[in-house]
Amino acid sequence: MAGAFGFKSCQKIRGPQIRNLLEAKDFFLFDCDGVIWHGENAISGAAEVVNSLTRHGKNVVFVTNNCTRPRENYVHKFSRLGFTDVMLEQIFSSSYCSALYLRDFVQVSGQVFVMGCDGLRRELEEAGIPCVEEADDPGATIYDCALAPDVKAVLVGHDDKLTFLKLAKASCYLKNPECLFLATDTDPWHPLSSGRILPGSGSLTAALEVASGRKATVIGKPSRFMFECISSQFSGVDPAQCLMVGDRLETDMLFGSNCGLDTMLTLTGVSQIEEAQEYRNSELTTNHSLVPNYVVDTIADFLPALEELEEEGN
Amino acid sequence: MSGSKGSARLSGALLKPLLDSVDCVLFDCDGVIWRGDQVIPGAAEVINLLKKNGKRVFFLTNNSSKTRRMYAEKMATMGFSVAPEEVFGTAYCCAAYLSTVCQLQGSKVYLLGSAAMGQELEAVGVRHTGLGPDHITGSQSDWANVPLDPEVKAVVVGFDQHFSYMKLNRAMQYLTQQGCLFVGTNRDTRLPLEGGKIVPGTGCILQAVETAAQRQAQTVGKPNHYMFDCVASQYGLDRARCLMVGDRLDTDILLGSNCGLKTLLTLTGVSTVADVEAHEQSGCPERRKMVPDYYVDSVADLLPALQG
Repeated sequence: MAGAFGFKSCQKIRGPQIRNLLEAKDFFLFDCDGVIWHGENAISGAAEVVNSLTRHGKNVVFVTNNCTRPRENYVHKFSRLGFTDVMLEQIFSSSYCSALYLRDFVQVSGQVFVMGCDGLRRELEEAGIPCVEEADDPGATIYDCALAPDVKAVLVGHDDKLTFLKLAKASCYLKNPECLFLATDTDPWHPLSSGRILPGSGSLTAALEVASGRKATVIGKPSRFMFECISSQFSGVDPAQCLMVGDRLETDMLFGSNCGLDTMLTLTGVSQIEEAQEYRNSELTTNHSLVPNYVVDTIADFLPALEELEEEGN
Repeated sequence: MSGSKGSARLSGALLKPLLDSVDCVLFDCDGVIWRGDQVIPGAAEVINLLKKNGKRVFFLTNNSSKTRRMYAEKMATMGFSVAPEEVFGTAYCCAAYLSTVCQLQGSKVYLLGSAAMGQELEAVGVRHTGLGPDHITGSQSDWANVPLDPEVKAVVVGFDQHFSYMKLNRAMQYLTQQGCLFVGTNRDTRLPLEGGKIVPGTGCILQAVETAAQRQAQTVGKPNHYMFDCVASQYGLDRARCLMVGDRLDTDILLGSNCGLKTLLTLTGVSTVADVEAHEQSGCPERRKMVPDYYVDSVADLLPALQG
């Protein structure tokens, strides 16, 4: 339950409080990195939590800003890590949702210039969206390179093959105000399982915003769009019945808040509870949207309550 | 001083008194004395006549891809008589900043920039690493664990046509280290380019690094006063008797305002009279600083006062 007057307690909850929450909600949205797994390692207890929620008839979906892999890869990864029967339809990545946005929401006609990796291009191609071929001559520069005709959108994601030329080409396409400017997400950096970090899509998007003088439309969290994709697919989703569980205040908690969902911060990932407290104490009321309703050390904290429910069911 | 009154077209009776009231004229380059490789008609004559009339002339440019020597050579081919010591580009000024203000003489920096930046750094005894192409190889974990040179004390960002994800990554990794300094040449968003193409400026590269590293760089170029300080410290200038001539309100004119110089906008480049009026009418003190004292269609408009 949201606190009175919208004030979020940001308190750690355990046992009976978790149980109440599990009974009150029937739709669970989980971020992946830092919540369900770290790289190739599942968070201890995560598989049991997800499997148990599913057995209890709860809806479970996964909402990730990671745009580097097609959804099929996630299905295999879940299976590898002991999660039973996670289906393609439960997975909402920013790359998949970018494809939906282009195909269904704007119904783009014409090509898309993609600054992103193969996983992103594959999602677009699978949705039947033509992408401009990447075929730059090694010696090509912006001064002499050809620009593709009929580019109706520029989509920026995580592009480890970024070059200055691609940035320049994208800026040229964006000169046309009819050409859409989309970003998979604005995460400035993202952590690897080792704790080290890498530059995120947000840094490339920021560069292109400066070059073009335009603001990107963001598909991923904290923008609402991925929740709209989820609602489209699971018609009748009631935000009041949802719980968004994530590890990053600036993406997951804000996303939940933007969509009218209750939010839970798990401490197995990026954000620390002290950061949440700072946002809570901030004079800027916009910062309050980043404060979680609830906090747990790990989603494995659900297990005692789930086991209780299991026993009562038997 | 800029901002205290409206902007006036500089012509006729106003020309000579203005020139008589200054001993030193500082020119931006792109959009003022040339556009790309095309000299603005009359510009060379203006520069040469100013010098003949006993004025000191300097050039202040945010473009970091040439050394002062390269600029002087370009100017010579266009008919200007200019010595390298009269040119202050951001490659030169950034090197000066790193060696004198940051005290990095003898130290090393990670450089996202041009060969020219490398040369200016070497000229003041600052070592550098990172120039040239740098593509990713290996896995994500390799990138996150790139070996960092322990001697690197600063990340320096200028215009880098070899900018890539790997370079962005390296810069970010260095910047997560305690005490690593972060300096950029300038924030210009685009390079001036004819023919409809857009070339992203250093500002874009800098923004990418600042976002990834979640840190702000200290920039050296206009409108920051450092470039003027470089000139003033070497040549003993009287600010009240200096005129800044530029084509961009947010860099050239703002620099002039920040340093207490007289300012002149030329309309052969980026900013327009409409831009001036918008700042004039804005009522915002920060924007008023971008209103030039005077404007002309081209620097050639100064000729009548110089040829007499």
